[in-house]
Amino acid sequence: MASENQSQSSVDTGSQRLDKDTRETLVGVARHGLLLAWSFVVLFPLYWLASMSLKPPGSANSLPPDWLFLPTVYNYIRLAQDGAFLAAFANSVVMVSASVVLVLLIGVPAAYVLSRYDIPMERDVLVWILSSRMLPPIAVVIPFFVIFRELNLFDSRIGMVFMYVSINLSLVVWVMKAFFDGIPETLEEAARVDGATRFQGFRKVVLPAAKPGIFSVAIISFIFAWIELLFGLVLTNFKAVPVTLFVYSFIGSRSIEWGMLAAASMAMILPVVVFLVAVNKYLAAGLSFGVVIKE
Amino acid sequence: MASITLDDVTKEFGDGGDAVVAVDDVSLDIEDGEFVVFVGPSGSGKSTLMRMVAGLETQTDGDVYIGDQIVNQLGPRARDIAMVFQNYALYPNMTVEENMSFGLKMSTELSADEIEATVTETAEMMGIESLLDNTPGELSGGQQQRVALGRAIVRDPNVFLMDEPLSNLDAKLRTTMRTEINRLQSDLGVTTLYVTHDQTEAMTMGDRLVVLNYGELQQVGTPLACFYRPANRFVAGFIGSPSMNFFEGEVADGTLVADGFEYDLSERMRANVGDRTAVTLGARPEDYTLSEAPTDNGFEVVVDVVEPMGSVSYVYVRSVAASHDETFVVEVDGQQPISEGEQLHAHAPATDVHLFDTQTGETIHQRELTDDAENALSQPLENATAGAD
Repeated sequence: MASENQSQSSVDTGSQRLDKDTRETLVGVARHGLLLAWSFVVLFPLYWLASMSLKPPGSANSLPPDWLFLPTVYNYIRLAQDGAFLAAFANSVVMVSASVVLVLLIGVPAAYVLSRYDIPMERDVLVWILSSRMLPPIAVVIPFFVIFRELNLFDSRIGMVFMYVSINLSLVVWVMKAFFDGIPETLEEAARVDGATRFQGFRKVVLPAAKPGIFSVAIISFIFAWIELLFGLVLTNFKAVPVTLFVYSFIGSRSIEWGMLAAASMAMILPVVVFLVAVNKYLAAGLSFGVVIKE
Repeated sequence: MASITLDDVTKEFGDGGDAVVAVDDVSLDIEDGEFVVFVGPSGSGKSTLMRMVAGLETQTDGDVYIGDQIVNQLGPRARDIAMVFQNYALYPNMTVEENMSFGLKMSTELSADEIEATVTETAEMMGIESLLDNTPGELSGGQQQRVALGRAIVRDPNVFLMDEPLSNLDAKLRTTMRTEINRLQSDLGVTTLYVTHDQTEAMTMGDRLVVLNYGELQQVGTPLACFYRPANRFVAGFIGSPSMNFFEGEVADGTLVADGFEYDLSERMRANVGDRTAVTLGARPEDYTLSEAPTDNGFEVVVDVVEPMGSVSYVYVRSVAASHDETFVVEVDGQQPISEGEQLHAHAPATDVHLFDTQTGETIHQRELTDDAENALSQPLENATAGAD
């Protein structure tokens, strides 16, 4: 009797374990299925855009869509031969890159000072910096237009660089201040005791430790400036036109050039991807401060 | 190498009415090559005092000398000091070798080859030569500690400053590193300031202790002097583990009457007490004996808790006659059988007892020592409190 009970219970345990394994497998399948479905949702517009850019003129926006078509690079060739597009693209690359360099040059030291020094009314200064982003851009675009006109910045690349800097500065300062707050002050103290000046301590010790943060805000700033349309629309008309505005110009009053719009949009993705790939290792590396024990 | 002198150094944080005095008018002479431990509870100003020597804080008042030079206006980089931080503060993006050579690059004119040779030599001395290519993140806590020490030593500075360098290590490693730092310091002979809140570290490491509380100097002396000749009740309670037991009482007709017992004062005690009435009796746990038979000047206690430590036991007892529930601790031989609830007689001989002024906390009567111990302290009884201000 007793042995029968025993064997019965052992079988039970076995079947339960099997159930558990099956359950885990099912959960795994469900999870991956869900993620697959989600990535489909996310990637579908990109696929749509890419396929639209590779379709011959006329069939780009046909409904129902041509799922099977002979891809052509016709739109890309037209785009590459379009001087205005190349100029706008170059404009954007130059203006956005310059703005990222400038916003880091201003924002990172500012964040460091706000993090490390006793600034009177520090909280207020921080909120004041953030307040530059509190109004919707549409509310300030007209005043900016007037100011730009008065300062001879209208339709100038330098003006657009300033514009992009003002868009991103608050982000850089806030994120980097939080980042510096997380780096123990004893690091700089150790550097100063080791014979470094305060500035050397910042440059040689803190800045390298802050690299992941700096590259993160650089990418975000790059993207925000790269996709900016409204200020470009109002503050430029010929010389300093950014690529976003050029892409927008394919939407005419009577017709939309879908193929060209898609090809130009695809081209716009390229620099962001290149930038991301270039700095990816800095983002992944050293995101931990395992070296220093927090007090 | 250099001596260090602090002359009426005060540090206040904040200003006006909100100012907090972290260090209050401290004067101190530290000799060349001496190992001095700043010890005190948290908030006692010990770290602030060290940071003023480092130049990381500027004193509100007073002068700091390193050697014969006033360094008030000099930043840390000009003071030729090396510091070990509690969190080690190793540069996270540099290898161990780069960490150790950073100071030499910054503060000397040595060539790259000379720097490499010096770093390698120090790394070998510290047993970290195999770690030179690792980054700090790849090291264990003990290894990081060694690198932090190595980074300080390689500089060959005038002064070592160590701010609770062992407090992040586990107990066993801490004991090992304690011995190692002691050995290194005596080998190198570099003037060393060491901050700790751990009285065991303080007792075992320093040539002299500087005991601080609320930013004020309590006592400066050798570890044994602070232990046997405490300048006041604070030092008596802070140095020694478990802490000294204190009993506040009133002196009348040569007898100290405390809550729970009466203690007949010896002739020397009476002379020292003078006409004071509010007097606190202090006796260390190891100076009490517990016996079944009544003793002279002893009193009846009941055992509350026994903590066996092996070679000794800490017995928490309560006076039977006391009107309160407070216990005090007695250290007895580990083999003495004592059980909880037992009634015994506690006795501390008159030779081993300290007396303190209850109001000021000042020591008014020091215990007696054997002649040898007395000579070793080289601090005559009469001057025992002179270290305190």
